Amino acid sequence: MAARFDYPQAQEIRAAFARRGVRYLFIGKSGAILLGFPDTTQDADLFVEKTAVNGEALAKALLELGFELTPEQVAEIRRGKDFVQLKNGPFDLDLVFAPDGIETFAEAWERRVEVDGFPVCHPDDIVASKEAANRVKDRESLPRLKAFRDYWKKKR
Amino acid sequence: MDAHPQSEIQNLQLAEWETEFAAAAKRPLAVRMHYAFIRTYKPVLDDASYRSFETMAEYRAWCEKNLPKWLGYGRSL
Repeated sequence: MAARFDYPQAQEIRAAFARRGVRYLFIGKSGAILLGFPDTTQDADLFVEKTAVNGEALAKALLELGFELTPEQVAEIRRGKDFVQLKNGPFDLDLVFAPDGIETFAEAWERRVEVDGFPVCHPDDIVASKEAANRVKDRESLPRLKAFRDYWKKKR
Repeated sequence: MDAHPQSEIQNLQLAEWETEFAAAAKRPLAVRMHYAFIRTYKPVLDDASYRSFETMAEYRAWCEKNLPKWLGYGRSL
């Protein structure tokens, strides 16, 4: 089993993705946690821009981080399949190229929030994606997440 | 008449959450993250080292079909 995701792993992502120029945003509950949401999660979710250049940079950054990717997997990541789940590296990572509830990466990027150099989706986008996904676990966490979004906006 | 009307319960819940948000805001990011990310085994989901889906709809359908309902990845229990 890979290491538990923690602050040092987030720093590794930030450094490797910056070196390669990868355009990405933390999304989902991991994004909300970066913004200050006090809750627990098991996965780090990254919303990655779906372009050929970004896919190429992302694949290189993941290999550099120690993910053991086959040539076929590298090709899929370069191409940007909508959802890629990685459990073959130093920590687990979910790559989302087309999250539910968000129209385009460019729009989410415009609204992003920087937290200690980490690019994070705006809480409105995090809430919108969870509303659109509408899974049981999303419905359970949404009331508190929306309360956090409102609190966060009030304190800005 | 209810001893605790729904709106009063909601207000109490909101106040409790806001206290938690305020407390969290005082903690450094590294501390928040250290206690936020946990590891527990998720059957089926954790049993492959790599998965990819052409569309989110395909991923959602796979979750509905293959994951235990109690994991909460489906749209109904």
